[in-house]
Amino acid sequence: LPASLGRGCLGRWLLATRGWALLGTGTGTGSCSCLRWRHQPPLLIRTARQSIGTQAGGLKAAKPGGDSKDVSVQRALNEETLVSAAQKVKEAGRDFTYFIVVLVGIGVTGGLFYVIFKELFSSSSPNKIYGDALEKCRSHPEIIGVFGDSIKGYGEATRRGRRQHVSHIEYVKDGLKHMRLKFYIEGTESGKQGTVHVEVKENLETGRFEVRYIFVDVETYPRRTIVIEDNR
Amino acid sequence: MEEYAREPCPWRIVDDCGGAFTMGAIGGGIFQAIKGFRNSPVGVNHRLRGSLTAIKTRAPQLGGSFAVWGGLFSMIDCSMVRMRGKEDPWNSITSGALTGAILAARNGPVAMVGSAAMGGILLALIEGAGILLTRFASTQFPNGPQLSEDPSQLQPPPFSD
Repeated sequence: LPASLGRGCLGRWLLATRGWALLGTGTGTGSCSCLRWRHQPPLLIRTARQSIGTQAGGLKAAKPGGDSKDVSVQRALNEETLVSAAQKVKEAGRDFTYFIVVLVGIGVTGGLFYVIFKELFSSSSPNKIYGDALEKCRSHPEIIGVFGDSIKGYGEATRRGRRQHVSHIEYVKDGLKHMRLKFYIEGTESGKQGTVHVEVKENLETGRFEVRYIFVDVETYPRRTIVIEDNR
Repeated sequence: MEEYAREPCPWRIVDDCGGAFTMGAIGGGIFQAIKGFRNSPVGVNHRLRGSLTAIKTRAPQLGGSFAVWGGLFSMIDCSMVRMRGKEDPWNSITSGALTGAILAARNGPVAMVGSAAMGGILLALIEGAGILLTRFASTQFPNGPQLSEDPSQLQPPPFSD
């Protein structure tokens, strides 16, 4: 770019590199652009002077501001030592109460999370056993024959109509934990209803629950019982 | 007894929507009454009129947004129950997350993810509280049936194995 400007204009190319953009597109020959340059410099020098002027003004303005900042910091330090001991105790008491409230909130939230994780993810929760038993029911040919292909399962109905709670009983027999579950299945096409009874026993070696029996009571007129699994 | 014989799911949506609107309207009404009372000029008449105006304007808005949340949540919940075929706490948590995501859809994908996380966590907490309550209520009645024998529907156990 400097080469195209011609030798006479080299002296001012430093100032004018910004003004170059102001000139827009389309530079003609080197002499033509130099002519255009000659009109630009006064404007450029004025703007340059203005920018330097404002910078200097800014530097001057910063100093008294800086001084006042130092003064205000010192005043704050002096004021702090005058806070009485009673106010400190009150503030400490307030902070302590807030701390206790935060702790209680975290404790309650953590407890709720623990309950829901245990319910959903641990293999010994009634919900998990209900899910496994439902899968076994769905893949049993006799059940499919009675209820149809799509089977839905649900538990006890609560007041609002949500049927998520599966009724279960835990008891100890011969030193081992047993759990009995009862849930309902329904064929969506045939409309038949059935009650599934599951019992699981704790296996001490693996620590998980193993199925003892699963059977289904079908609500037809001659009551029918389909045994899915019997491991007694 | 008729309400136990019918399917809860489609009717549950209307139930939840209405219940959420009532909760939002009553809660919003109380809150706006106090706020309108305090933000009015001095004088009991002015204050009462101010709180009444605030209730009339703001409480239905809050009720409406609660109703949208409740209705959408119940719709997604019922759809999941229909799809999966079983009723689970997982349905509620996923429904909460999806509701949060859908209601923040105007603010872009990142806001949707954040809103979904909040909705899911909130519903997980509510489910945990519900489970705790049912467990607590069931331990109030310690006398269950004495179960020492297997039920009569099963045949006697096979002697081999």
